[in-house]
Amino acid sequence: MTQLILFSVFNGLVVGAFYALMALGLSLILNLSGVINFAHGGFLAIGAYIAYSLSPYLGFWGGLVVAPFLTAVLGLIVERLLIRRLYGRDPLYSLLLTFGLAYIFEDLTRLIWGAQSVPYQVPAILTSPLSTQFFFLTGYRVFMVALVAVAVIGLFLILNRTRLGLRIRAGTRDLETVSALGVNVHVLRNLNFGLGIYLAGLAGVLAAGQLGLQPTIGTSLIMPSFVAIIVGGLGSLPGTLLGGLLIGVAQGVVTIKYPSATEAIMYVIMAVVLLVRPRGLLGEEGRLH
Amino acid sequence: MTLLRVEQACCHFGSLIAVDQVSLVVEPGELRAVIGPNGAGKTTFFNLISGYITPTRGRIMFDSQDITAMPPHRRVALGMARTFQITEIFPELTVRDNFRIPVELAAGHRLRPWLSRADRDAVRNTVDSLLEMSGLASKADRLVGELSHGDQRATEIMMALALKPRLLLLDEPTAGMGDQETYDITQLIRRLHKDQKLSIVLIEHDMRVVFHLADRIMVLAEGNMLAEGTPEQISANPQVQAAYLGTAA
Amino acid sequence: MTERTQKAAVLAAIWIVLLAAPSWLPAVGGYTDLGTRILVMALASMALNFLLGFTGVLSFGHAAYFGLGAYGTAMTIKYLVPSTLLGMLVGVIVGTLAAMVIGALIARLRGVYFAMVTIAFGQVFYFITFRWNDVTGGDDGLTGWQRVPIDLGFARIDLSNGDVYFYFVLLFFALATAAMALILRSPFGRTLLAIRENERRARFLGIPVERHIWLSFVVSCFFVSLAGCLNALLDNFTDPRALRWDMSGNFVIMAVLGGMRSFWGPLIGAAIFVALQDFVSSRTENWMSIIGLVFVLIVLFFPRGILGILRRRSAQ
Repeated sequence: MTQLILFSVFNGLVVGAFYALMALGLSLILNLSGVINFAHGGFLAIGAYIAYSLSPYLGFWGGLVVAPFLTAVLGLIVERLLIRRLYGRDPLYSLLLTFGLAYIFEDLTRLIWGAQSVPYQVPAILTSPLSTQFFFLTGYRVFMVALVAVAVIGLFLILNRTRLGLRIRAGTRDLETVSALGVNVHVLRNLNFGLGIYLAGLAGVLAAGQLGLQPTIGTSLIMPSFVAIIVGGLGSLPGTLLGGLLIGVAQGVVTIKYPSATEAIMYVIMAVVLLVRPRGLLGEEGRLH
Repeated sequence: MTLLRVEQACCHFGSLIAVDQVSLVVEPGELRAVIGPNGAGKTTFFNLISGYITPTRGRIMFDSQDITAMPPHRRVALGMARTFQITEIFPELTVRDNFRIPVELAAGHRLRPWLSRADRDAVRNTVDSLLEMSGLASKADRLVGELSHGDQRATEIMMALALKPRLLLLDEPTAGMGDQETYDITQLIRRLHKDQKLSIVLIEHDMRVVFHLADRIMVLAEGNMLAEGTPEQISANPQVQAAYLGTAA
Repeated sequence: MTERTQKAAVLAAIWIVLLAAPSWLPAVGGYTDLGTRILVMALASMALNFLLGFTGVLSFGHAAYFGLGAYGTAMTIKYLVPSTLLGMLVGVIVGTLAAMVIGALIARLRGVYFAMVTIAFGQVFYFITFRWNDVTGGDDGLTGWQRVPIDLGFARIDLSNGDVYFYFVLLFFALATAAMALILRSPFGRTLLAIRENERRARFLGIPVERHIWLSFVVSCFFVSLAGCLNALLDNFTDPRALRWDMSGNFVIMAVLGGMRSFWGPLIGAAIFVALQDFVSSRTENWMSIIGLVFVLIVLFFPRGILGILRRRSAQ
């Protein structure tokens, strides 16, 4: 029984790490640019498939390094050509635009890589269980959680220690002032978008190894990411991280007794949070309006 | 009987003290001006009275009822109406509809899915008389967003007035106006005060307007009340001259 | 021509075109059921626009209430009573009740945050229908039922006939649009416009903004669930896709395409979008890309919608 609970909690942690990684990217973009990037799942899928296509040449590790970067470049281009035109307009429009992009991305992945799901080879060193007693602790899962942890720490280091990161954080609070201080807001938003998409690409490569590849891989992960942001609190990256892990673990635990309530539980959590604390667990005051 | 009583109101934003223990008493029929240099906490003080923010400490009474934590729409129901420093109107609606909405609200039609002919006529008559009074009758069917700044300010004041308030709060009614427009608005406020015996609290930068209109003046500086008295007392007060009139001149 | 007679003429034209649809649709390569679909989607989109265009609140999760209407109708007819009207009644009640509860949770939220929460909540019912296999048929959808003729005593309305069902839907479309138009022209409707135009001003004129947004949300979802009922009856079938996020997006894009600021805009948007979807999906596997491209093009080049552009032209 203890083992089962441990297993579920760990499982939830793995899933939650995914959600968090994806939600952090969404959150970055939302906080600075006010854009709900519905195409985030599409970027994730593209990241996964790029890694898949590269792996014959670069292997798993090469794909892991290169694919998120290429996805981020695609993100930079999309932001520059399309999304930039919509800043300052009703958020409805950027939402619809990224909605359309989500359609296009899903269809393109299907067109290029086929509708059938394909396996993604993970190095043997990562697949074997680490111990016989805790069979669920496969190397890949531990590796995933560790890598997400590294990515998150890296993200927070970027935001707190680099000039770009400090500008992103300042811009999130007050873009006008940052602009008045001579920072090129266009470039800032562009790079910030790229950073968010990089995280989506990374999540994509990791998800590919865990779930296998199919064109809908992104759409199935985007809803939990929205919930993670809402639960954690709009405007707060630590909140988003907490939200992602929380709903992941909750799902893991609920699966023990009620496997069919896996999705329902996160909505229950969201409803309770909205009822008790509408701005989310770590949300800042005044962000609601 | 006192209409509005603010007791020792404080408002802190984190470590910033925007309003510190400010008290105010407004009697029925009084026109009170609140003046002070930029950042003195005038607008914050207004926001406390109208319910836009809740005071950190202190108490606000309206008509001997405690309204300290009451939401804005209920203060309106008690008879308090306000305008804003940056004009807040319904830009994509006509002048007529801008007036009609508060008239219907004041008549208690808020949730009515339809109106009887008599009710509709009553609303139309009130709207027409407001149009007449504001001098905007000829522009009644134009979108408010297309009007001049002065006409927009006048629209906003008339909207507040359409609520039939017992206390009208005006936040810099002449902000951004030319001489002629300032004069027109001043005359309008004066008529409301003298003819309709309306109680008014106004924040104003333009000293000519303040000394022309106000019965009593309160001076705020850095969140504190510096002085209080008749226009004569205020203009003679050396502290005020140093802190405010000196810098304004 | 005065503005009033002009409006009356436009209104008359709309209704003549709609009433005659079954006779002219085949001539332009359409068919009656396509016309019915357009009416249903137009109703859904107009109902959404009640909230989006006339209250200024962005809901991206209206498919949930559409789908609840659909499942409410389908399950009532299949499991409880073989009655079309009772099925619709149950569908509308279920959808509206859900909107009342969820609306209460979200009425305090604004802007992107509101949109995001509606998206997330929109998926709740999708997962429920998806998971609750035994009753809802899961991913395969709910079959084995159909619209039942209505017995009026003196006459029998045979709804299984496509043309008859078109007029049945048109009747409800007429009633629903009349009701929405009436509400929008009432004092209550004007408080919604006030909130759209300037929430702060509305609040300080004495409108309890959250309560009115909640009411607007519930009214909007009431009519969306009605559209959902009619949609399920049109297909004699419903599946979880009726309440998935892409359906919500379709409602929004139809409203934007036609013109959010005009009452009849979503009808035009629905006519174009549904016809296009029908045309494209029957000709290419990659219809998703084309629909996605349509979204992008509309946002970039026609953000005001067709009626918005026409109105601007005529104003100049």
